This record gives sequence, structure tokens and C-alpha cells, in this order.
Amino acid sequence: MNEILTVQNVTKSFQHKLAVHNVSFSITKGQITAILGPNGAGKTTTISMILGLLKPTSGEIRLFNRLPHEKQVREKLGTMLQEVSVMGGLKVREILALIRSYYHEPLPMGELISLTGLTEQDLKTRAEKLSGGQKRRLSFALALAGNPELIIFDEPTVGMDITARKQFWQTVRKLADQGKTIIFSTHYLQEADEAADRILLFKDGAIVADGTPEQIKASINKQSVSFIVDPETSLEKLYQHSKIDRIYRKNNRVYAETASTDRVLEFIFQEKIGARDIQIERGKLEEAFEQLTSEAKEAI
Amino acid sequence: MKAFQMQCKIEMIRVLRNRYFVFWSLFMPIIFYYVFTNLVNSDVPNQAEWQAHYLMSMTVFSVMGSSMMTLGIRMVQERSQGWSTFIRTTPLSDSVYFAAQMIGQSVIHVLSITIIFIAGAIINDVSLSALEWVLSGLWILFGSLPFLAVGTMIGLMKKVETAAGISNVVYMVLAVTGGLWMPLEVMPKVMQNIAQWLPSYHFGNGAWEIVRGEMPDWKNMLILIAYLVLFMLLSKYIRRKQEAV
Repeated sequence: MNEILTVQNVTKSFQHKLAVHNVSFSITKGQITAILGPNGAGKTTTISMILGLLKPTSGEIRLFNRLPHEKQVREKLGTMLQEVSVMGGLKVREILALIRSYYHEPLPMGELISLTGLTEQDLKTRAEKLSGGQKRRLSFALALAGNPELIIFDEPTVGMDITARKQFWQTVRKLADQGKTIIFSTHYLQEADEAADRILLFKDGAIVADGTPEQIKASINKQSVSFIVDPETSLEKLYQHSKIDRIYRKNNRVYAETASTDRVLEFIFQEKIGARDIQIERGKLEEAFEQLTSEAKEAI
Repeated sequence: MKAFQMQCKIEMIRVLRNRYFVFWSLFMPIIFYYVFTNLVNSDVPNQAEWQAHYLMSMTVFSVMGSSMMTLGIRMVQERSQGWSTFIRTTPLSDSVYFAAQMIGQSVIHVLSITIIFIAGAIINDVSLSALEWVLSGLWILFGSLPFLAVGTMIGLMKKVETAAGISNVVYMVLAVTGGLWMPLEVMPKVMQNIAQWLPSYHFGNGAWEIVRGEMPDWKNMLILIAYLVLFMLLSKYIRRKQEAV
């Protein structure tokens, strides 16, 4: 049984708003999976359901072949949520000791400290006096306290600086190499690309793409062949070409969007449509992703 | 079990580090006690009895306050800051968490009772029999239960500011109308009649009876239990209603 998590036909609606619509996927051991999507795509709702904090309206979620709220699941699960302030009045060391006491086989304190980069000084500090970066490190430590097999991070790097981010992902990779399964959400394509083995692309509460970062990038990245042509020339044949997804004119140029620029070039020369000043444009990945993001925003 | 002990210990550390608790539940009652039994001239026939009576009033006042406010406000804070949500993702069960909070709070109450009793013995030489000290202490511990239930109700509020404001008002009104600040006998008849139905009066009265050498009335106990049940049901009902949304 390598399936750590299975999500089957899960839908969640709040009153009249559909937050997650018929989502299914499963995750195997040792994988780092990114749940990527713009704000409002249903990432946090999906994560909350996996954590057993929300009940799906329909469908089923199983972790380690059990239901999310079962104690045996919680023993093997670690999480870092968005916007959590650790309770005040306690020193970092005390909080870590407290959370470790909840688990049967917690991670040894020393290991916990070295993994998360908390300093001796941090341990003596009261939680409410920590800086933003220190707080994130503490949250990370709390997620690892129980030595979990599955770790779920909701937007983990928000508020981290570049160094902290780099360190964080290095540690996450190390954990995955130890056989831990990791799921995180992000709205940065670059982060998902660099850190994850697999990306689940969410949009409007549904998964629109699921694959390796390369596959995802290919699916959202658009290439096009553009050229100048005599306005009287008929483009009818181009419209009928199976490899061309879309044709439009901009600044006197004709743009043909395609997954295979080679085939389109071949076609243009074969048909001798008199194209001049031909250019191949590889769309910017981030732009394509942002476009997806902004479309989603308008839809809300 | 390990989690339970740890949770109790942590809850106590947190209360003791809370400046509001130290000020309102230890410092203020002792100051009030000193002021009203020494500086304010009260023409009471039996000075020693009045000093013991008022020591009970102030201890009850202290414990009632920390039951409602320390517990309630802390619960609101934990929820509004997302901490409760995080705890729900850990293996700690709700019942262990709840029990630890109640036990931790009660240990704190034992501490408050001891400190204020010692303060009374030092300030005014209040001398009771060992049995009276223990019984009145136990009574105050028992009488705090309905107020802990009020605390859990206040803990269901959304904002810390609202919770602090409302619990403060409820606290002060209950303390005054229950005769904790001044004896009911000096208040108008109407107030005295109302007090007969208030939990704070019966809370105080049990302890006053003990220091007079009597036993708490059955009525004191029954009314406190009735309030405990009422507040627990209400708290449960509100929680269920909130979860439904």
C-alpha cells in the first residue's frame, strides 16, 4: 500500500458558493506534491478537508486508508497552517515539549531543533515576542514534532525571505528523501516548479492539470508563429490546420498559437501564403500562469 | 496521560505568567481586603467575624473572576489566533484538552485561595480552626464550577475585546449584587431579594456560613448545581449552533 492519501470525487460548497468541485487524486509515499493555483481556487478548502477540519459536502477522503479525523491518522500527520499565532505566555521550548507530548513517538528535541534552525536563543524566547521569520520556524518545528509520515503545508513560504525559503525547501527535500510524503499549497508557479515532484493545478475549485512540473509548464505555456502577410491573402487554410489552436492579428502581424511550431512553419512554406518576417515566440511561462490567475479572479 | 499532565502544567504556567491574572485575582482582592477591613471604618459589633467574613468574600471574588475571565478570554484568544485549529490536527483529544484546562485552572484556584487566606491571616490575624480553613477552601473550589461553565461560554465569543468587556461587566455586577463587596444587609430590600437567586450570593454564603461555624445551606449547594447545569447546557447549545454554520 503506497497510497498515503486518496481524494475521491470530493465536493465542498458553502451555502451557495461552490468552493471545490468534484476533485479526485491520490498521492503515493515519498512524493512532494504542490497544490498550485490562484487565490480562491480552492486550495485551502481542499487542505482543510484533508486535515479533517472541514467535512466534504460529498465524496470521500482517506489518509493511510482511514478517515481524516481518526486518531491514528493524526499520529502520522504534521501540518503548518496559514495565519496561526502560537499561544502566548510560553517559551518556544515549552511549546515544543507540549506538542511533542501529544504524540506516541515524537521527533527527538535535538533533531527538531537542528532541522528547523531554531537557535538556543529562540528556544528561551516567549512565542509572542518572536519575529515573523522565527514564528514560521516555530510553526515548521510544530509540524515536525510528531515525526509525521505525511506533512501538509498551507502556503508555507509566505513571509519568508529568500534565504529562509531556500533553507526551508532544502529541509523539505531532505524529509522527502527520508520517505516522508509532503503536500504544500502555493500560488507561485516557480516555487511549485522548483520544489515539487508533481503539481496539481487548481482553478475555480477543480483540478485543471495534474502532472510533473514539465508537463504542467508545457500545458500552460503557449508558443506561436507570427508573420506579416498581405491583408488580402486568405488565411482559411490556416484556420483548418489541426495543429493550430488559435489565430489572431495584432499590430499588422498574424499570430498562430500552436504546440508544434515546426509543423506550422512547414505548412506556411508549403502553402506559399507569402508570409514575411516570420518569428517564433515562446510565451513567457509566468505570464501564461498569471493570465490563468487573473481570469480566475474575474470569475469570482 | 503524558499529554494530559503536560497540558495541565502548561496551562498553569500560562496563568501564572498572565499579568492580568496576578493583578485582578491576587493583588486586587488582597488590597481590597486590607482597605475594607482596616482603612474603612465599619461599625461592626464583632470585628473578628467581619474580618473572616470579608476574607471569604474576597477569596470568592478572586476565584469567581479567574474562572470566568482568565479561562474565557484565553479560549477566545486561542480560537481567534488559529491555535485551536492547529490543536485539532494533532492527536490530542478534545476531552483531554478540556479536562486539562479545568484541572489546571482548579490548581491555580487552590493557589489563589492559599495565598489570599495567608494574606488574611497576616493582615488581620484571622484565625479559624484547621477544619474551617480546609472546608471553606474546598467550598470555594466547588463553588467555582458554575463560573468555570460561564468561562467556557465567554470562551465562545468571537473577539477578545467583546469577551473581555462582557465578562468584566458580568463579573462586577455579580460580585456587587452577590454581596461580595459589601454585606447584603446594608443593601436595599429589593437587592437582597434578587441576591437570593444569584449564583454569586450562594457561592459567597457557603463560605460565610463555614467561618461562622455553620455548614453551607443545602439551598446554596442546590442553586450552584442548578446554575452549573444551566450554564453547561447553554454553552453546549451555543457551541452546537456555531458549528452548524
